Amino acid sequence: MRVEYINPFVEAAYSVLKEVLGTEVHRGELYLKSTSMPVLGVAALVGLAGDVEGRVLFDMTKDTAIKVASTMLESMEMEPITTLNEMGRASITELANMITGQAVTKLHNLGFKFDLTPPAIFSGDNMEISDSGVEALIVPMELPQGKIEINVAVRERG
Amino acid sequence: MKWNNGNDVKQQSDNVAVSGFRSFGFGRDAAADEEVDRIDFKMVTFSLAGKDYGIDIMKVKEIAKFAGFTYVPNTLPFVAGVYNLRGEIISIIDLRLMFNQTAERRPDGEAEDGLILRLENNLIGVIVDSIDRVVGISSESIQPPHPIFADINIKYISGVVEHDERLYIILDVERIFAKETEVARDVPELPAAARIAPAVEGPGAQAGAKTDTDFEFVVDGLATFKVLYAGDINRGWIRDRYQTWRSMRSEQGVSVQFSGVEDAVDFAGTFSSSDTGRLWGKPYWDGVAGVVPTVDSAVFNAWNPGCGKGFETYSLAAILKEKNPQKRIRIWAGDNDLLSISTAPSVVLTAESVPSHMESYVTQGTGGMTMSSVLRDMIMFEYHDILNQSSVPECHVILCRDVLSVIPAADQERVLNKFLETLSPLGVLIIGDNERLDHDSRWTRISDRISAYRKSE
Repeated sequence: MRVEYINPFVEAAYSVLKEVLGTEVHRGELYLKSTSMPVLGVAALVGLAGDVEGRVLFDMTKDTAIKVASTMLESMEMEPITTLNEMGRASITELANMITGQAVTKLHNLGFKFDLTPPAIFSGDNMEISDSGVEALIVPMELPQGKIEINVAVRERG
Repeated sequence: MKWNNGNDVKQQSDNVAVSGFRSFGFGRDAAADEEVDRIDFKMVTFSLAGKDYGIDIMKVKEIAKFAGFTYVPNTLPFVAGVYNLRGEIISIIDLRLMFNQTAERRPDGEAEDGLILRLENNLIGVIVDSIDRVVGISSESIQPPHPIFADINIKYISGVVEHDERLYIILDVERIFAKETEVARDVPELPAAARIAPAVEGPGAQAGAKTDTDFEFVVDGLATFKVLYAGDINRGWIRDRYQTWRSMRSEQGVSVQFSGVEDAVDFAGTFSSSDTGRLWGKPYWDGVAGVVPTVDSAVFNAWNPGCGKGFETYSLAAILKEKNPQKRIRIWAGDNDLLSISTAPSVVLTAESVPSHMESYVTQGTGGMTMSSVLRDMIMFEYHDILNQSSVPECHVILCRDVLSVIPAADQERVLNKFLETLSPLGVLIIGDNERLDHDSRWTRISDRISAYRKSE
């Protein structure tokens, strides 16, 4: 993971979460992981292509996802949700889009050019994700609603 | 890589257990991994009345020689006395008497072999017949004690294990000493003298064994404190260093064993290669320039895992630039210390820290001197752990100084395999000054001045 990529993702995640949810956000220690790793329950995945290739995964438990989506909906004066319905999934998708979008904008300003794919949401139990040949940077974010792990696996185009 | 970032190293080595390297066909490594998986319990072994016993190494603070302890009157017969351990008074128990074995009385003034145990509440010294060595086993191979082990009360035995065709009885020291009063009732009131056999001369053979045990303790200590992991690559240096360390410690009158992480760091202090953490001085620079290969292709690739703050990467970049001015040079540099690697792309230097042969590669900025973009554009700094997968292409130079020694021995072999795969046929691997690959037939040393190797034909 190229050093220059780290900060844009960390900063974007921090500022978007703080602004959208209107709560305190604590960033945990960053660390690296290799290959196959478990997914907590709900994962929003955004693909990257261009100068670099890879993906960003926003990983949280179902409970956290419902609470986060509810907070977002309430801030727009809409009804909170109790199950992860279509509205809930759309909210999490939007959150992932905002964070990745802001990070990519920061990277564009530094001279790195690449595009995003629309986010996809995965949910289920006992899921794992693996990327061959890339190690992932984990950015844990602690919120009152629970923990969101931002899992960034990108590499230079060879 | 820093010396004290052991936590990171440990954490990542845990991750490796689930990594996908095995699926890439490293047959040797899979075997090595299993080997490590198996050994998860280490014990210090010793003999009591001719039988072999073991105590969990985590309970053992150090191996000691007890001499001149103070007899305390009106205590239980197995209490040998109290002892001044560097200012701390600890009680000494004679395990032989405690377990109703005969104790050979040493000639006057000769020190008794013993262990200092670190129990939940206190330190305690125990006297044994002789210390044997440190044995690593798998906790799965420990079997529960059988009721016929009658010499020692069965409730003080946590298990029995066979190793090298010897049967070791593992003592549960917490239980033995937690319930001293209960023990007292179990020991029949016999006059202590009646059980002490006459002294038997000839403990000469034990001197060598003791030295080895101390050495193993030092090696274990280096690993426990995550300072340095002994492997084939650095064992020679650790042995040499151990000799000077031992004489230094005995001059100071302190135990050769580490009393804390400071000692371990102190021990490893002189391990670092020359010019660590700064731009390379002329001698090392010339040494590296002498081994850098010449290649035909238009692209020259280099890899620098464990680059720290990037000083060695910039030094290498300048050498490669001077040797191959026409080629496109790319250097992948990585470190698992986030703080160090984050500063590497924009490292700021002072005028004194720039050797004269590198002056043309620095530029004066507003905040201080920085490396010129000629070098910076050649290098890609990555937050990367060498134990994870990497996507580095074939390289002509791999610079990896003092990094293999700070990863566990089983992983050292796997990383070396990765180097063999990544290095081009005439490529050169440069490792730390105190690291050696001479034992490994797959590598051929190509320089007397620096630790540089080429793949064997």
